[in-house]
Amino acid sequence: MCFKNLPIEFDSEGRARLREGVGDPYGLNDGDRRRSYTKVAVLERDPVQEGPRVRDWMIDPVTRVAGALAVHTKLDLEKREAVEGHSMAMLFRGYELILQGRDPRDAIDISSRACGVCGGVHSTVSSLAIEQAFGITPPPMGTIVRNLGEVAEMLYDHPLHLGLLAGPDYSSALVEVTNPELVVEARRTPAPNAAAHGYQTIGDIMDAMNPLTGEYYVEALGITRLGREMCQLMYGKYPHPSTLVPGGVMTTLSTSTFNEFYNRLMKYVDYSKKLVGIWDDVIDFFLDQNPDYARVGDRPINLIQTGIWDQPEVYDGTYENASAWGDARWSTPGIIINGELLTTRLHDINMGIEEFVEHSFYEDYATDENMKFPQDSLGNPLSPYHAWNKQTIPKPTGRNFKEKYSWSTAPRWDRMTLETGTYGRMWTTALAQKHPTNDFYEATGDGIRILMPEATLPETEMFWKVPGRLNALERNRGRAYATAWTTAVGLGILLQAFDYWRRGETKTHTKFTIPKDERLGAGFWEAGRGYLTHHLHMDKGKLVNYQINTPSTWNASPRDPFGGLGPYEEAIIGTPILESVGDDDVKGIDVLRSIRSFDPCMPCTTHIDTGKGVITRELNSCSCTLD
Amino acid sequence: MTTENTTPTISNGLTIEPEPGINRVSGKPDPFASIGLRSRHMPTKRHFGALGPLEKIYLFWFVGASCDGCTIALTAATKPSAEDLMAGTVPGLPRVEVVHTVVSVESGAEWVNNMVMAENGELDAPFVICWEGSVMDETKSGTGYWMGLGEDPDTGRTVTSLEWLTRLAPKAAAVIAVGTCATWGGIPAAEGNVTGAMGTMDYLGKDFRSAFGVPVVNIPGCSPIGDNITETAAAVLLFLQGLAPLPEFDELGRPAWLFGETVHRHCPRAGYYEEGVFAEEYGDKECLVELGCWGPVVQCNIVERGNINGHGGCMQMGGICIGCTMPSFPDKFSPFYATPPGSALSTNTSRVVGGFIRRMRQVTMSDKNRSPRWDEEAPSGWARHKSEPMVANRITTKFYKAYQDSRKSFK
Repeated sequence: MCFKNLPIEFDSEGRARLREGVGDPYGLNDGDRRRSYTKVAVLERDPVQEGPRVRDWMIDPVTRVAGALAVHTKLDLEKREAVEGHSMAMLFRGYELILQGRDPRDAIDISSRACGVCGGVHSTVSSLAIEQAFGITPPPMGTIVRNLGEVAEMLYDHPLHLGLLAGPDYSSALVEVTNPELVVEARRTPAPNAAAHGYQTIGDIMDAMNPLTGEYYVEALGITRLGREMCQLMYGKYPHPSTLVPGGVMTTLSTSTFNEFYNRLMKYVDYSKKLVGIWDDVIDFFLDQNPDYARVGDRPINLIQTGIWDQPEVYDGTYENASAWGDARWSTPGIIINGELLTTRLHDINMGIEEFVEHSFYEDYATDENMKFPQDSLGNPLSPYHAWNKQTIPKPTGRNFKEKYSWSTAPRWDRMTLETGTYGRMWTTALAQKHPTNDFYEATGDGIRILMPEATLPETEMFWKVPGRLNALERNRGRAYATAWTTAVGLGILLQAFDYWRRGETKTHTKFTIPKDERLGAGFWEAGRGYLTHHLHMDKGKLVNYQINTPSTWNASPRDPFGGLGPYEEAIIGTPILESVGDDDVKGIDVLRSIRSFDPCMPCTTHIDTGKGVITRELNSCSCTLD
Repeated sequence: MTTENTTPTISNGLTIEPEPGINRVSGKPDPFASIGLRSRHMPTKRHFGALGPLEKIYLFWFVGASCDGCTIALTAATKPSAEDLMAGTVPGLPRVEVVHTVVSVESGAEWVNNMVMAENGELDAPFVICWEGSVMDETKSGTGYWMGLGEDPDTGRTVTSLEWLTRLAPKAAAVIAVGTCATWGGIPAAEGNVTGAMGTMDYLGKDFRSAFGVPVVNIPGCSPIGDNITETAAAVLLFLQGLAPLPEFDELGRPAWLFGETVHRHCPRAGYYEEGVFAEEYGDKECLVELGCWGPVVQCNIVERGNINGHGGCMQMGGICIGCTMPSFPDKFSPFYATPPGSALSTNTSRVVGGFIRRMRQVTMSDKNRSPRWDEEAPSGWARHKSEPMVANRITTKFYKAYQDSRKSFK
């Protein structure tokens, strides 16, 4: 039984149904089924005392994130922590609306443009959704090419975030401004992993992290180019791929394709040893200096992941077998509540998803008229707030924290706030222990053991231990280990590719015709930041509805109708102010570290849906200004 | 390795003196100035060996309806690379101080302060605006916004990114529209949009000229090739330094040397077109026109330049051209995967004519693959399978020999 808040139960054969006798199963006002949010509890216990020692602070824009994000917080300088958090997606473009009525194949190229940081994942998930609707299965090599493309995309994405976006927050240049004593200490602290990364002291690492001038910063930019070149070998072009199609890929493969991929992948074997060493050293140093750094960005261990890297023998593209091929993935889908793995079944994940717009610049769409699909094709119940029923109408109005304040919707699963991320997929994979057997990594139930072969640096075994808490430092540490883990996955899949190539199974694509009847499709995949789904409804060969739900929509979400906060908001509240400078000079760096640790990516967070939108005018009642 | 924090000295004795600027928000010395990211002071001494008057230029990179793909494309550039431009390590090119939400060190009001300084003419060097993403019509967003970017320092009002463009563009040395959304409107301006999205030059209007008298410069592509962005910037900067000629722009404001040719003319698969051989299935190595490729009529340089480091990009790897550099993208190219209607005539002509030429070439190629020595005997493992030359080969050989002999007699 995996649902606690939605009235969904399972019969003896494991089929889901709505519990009988519940009048309005998806109503928003049923107090009995409201779950308790840990972070709300904090707020309710300590109502914010507005006083001279509370600083109301608007950070707009939040920089070193992709896209337009603003954050509102209140810093209680007495208690030395942040006591309020609002996360605001600042941009709206209207992609889902533009997709309506188009040829379904065009969705791949158009939805890719939802995000230029991770266009490949959008193209891929779109292909998955379309081939599910078309009822076609790609040949093994088609699936493998997609997998290798995803490996490459992650190998560009993680180093980019760590080196260019998060890294500067731990650099000597910035820490000098907020905590000069830490830099002094760092300069006399030897780095335990010096043999792996070559920096003798923690101070040396922090110097290397300096923006533009630091060695590690500049190297990271170069390594992201290498990852993108690998991406292009599989996806044709990056950021926006040109070879992804329903039923596989249209990449022209040759021996050179694999040689060029192989030789680039091997660069990551050493780079990931170095990266893990760097981040382990820096993170452990911060925690040693002040254990309160563990409170920065801390929130309950509630995670949702959709899984990536299909096994070509198991993946058949159908919705009916989604839980089976989902479980066979190299990275396992799953839901973790309070650190416990609740389910890995994609069907459970899909039927529990709802998207609320109570605090977003959209009109409520959950009307009887829009409730087209009360069930999926297997008879699993679906909410009127489910993606297949979603019809959002944009309604830009003035910002008001009690009402509407973000272009992001609030996705929830079983009405709970879940976070998603790179570390999240390691988390589900580690706990589930369902991944394919291979020579390079192994889930142990409490972590993932990763074996990196000898290159310039010696063979290295690493162990990513499932952390006891989910905070800013552990998110970054997870992302460093994920670079090694992704390299390990890449090695495993590349050997698989050679195997199929050897057997002459080089076909990358299954032919199709566009069906003219009514079809549904759902793609489940992950971006660098985790969870990613595209849901489509097509009829007469055209798209009727197309819905994109992205990781940062989950993470950046505003409050939900039940008073629950979004993950960024939860992470901000309770984050301590650890700066050692005077009150007037507080930069709020730990609030920013909290936000950046999620690797926010706003472009694809905001997008829209159907709109017969009448745009109404309302008074701007927001009065938050810089203190 | 720890070094003492001393003023760096160049061997000829000139020094670079770090002088912290004043942070407008706090009124105190700018803490970020020490790492070279926010030095707003006028340079006190010219560097010996400087290759032009400009030592520094500010780049304000704003986004409208954008996916950040052009930013990512920019970081893929290598000639010159974004990091070299930002660090100012290319002699002759001024250091480019970038104000961009993705790379800036400062956040919030401190970041917004950069724009206020630019508007008030308080910067110590000229600034250029790069605009990424479509321009959305904020008159359609009621009291809200399609794209908010920071708050007004005095009132706390959310300022739209469009407002920053409107306020700063006339004061900028140049406005560069980067990517197809920014140049022509792109996907956010496609049919069905509610935001009134359009291209930058359409928004700024016919009479727009930057402070240096330049209309909007357009670098299209979805996303553009990174080197197209930095090369155009470098070409303009080298001109401003008095080192290189003024680069040429075409009638749509595109760098003429980058967008003057169709992508088909340089396509590695164009030879298949010429010989009348066309890919029938996705993944085939031949010409992709019949699978939906618009390359023969699209102006783009991706196949000869490559997308990253001379590598990758569309038809090189198997992808069709969907026309992403063109003003009518995407609506006039969709559905992307349908055969372009005009291609039936051209591809069938090519099948007939090119098919004949291809067969003739095969005969010649077979002849050229044979060392004269093997006419007698083929002793190696590889060449053993070579059979007796066919009649056609004998004829080719004979005629070519006669041709060569005739050339010799002219000498």
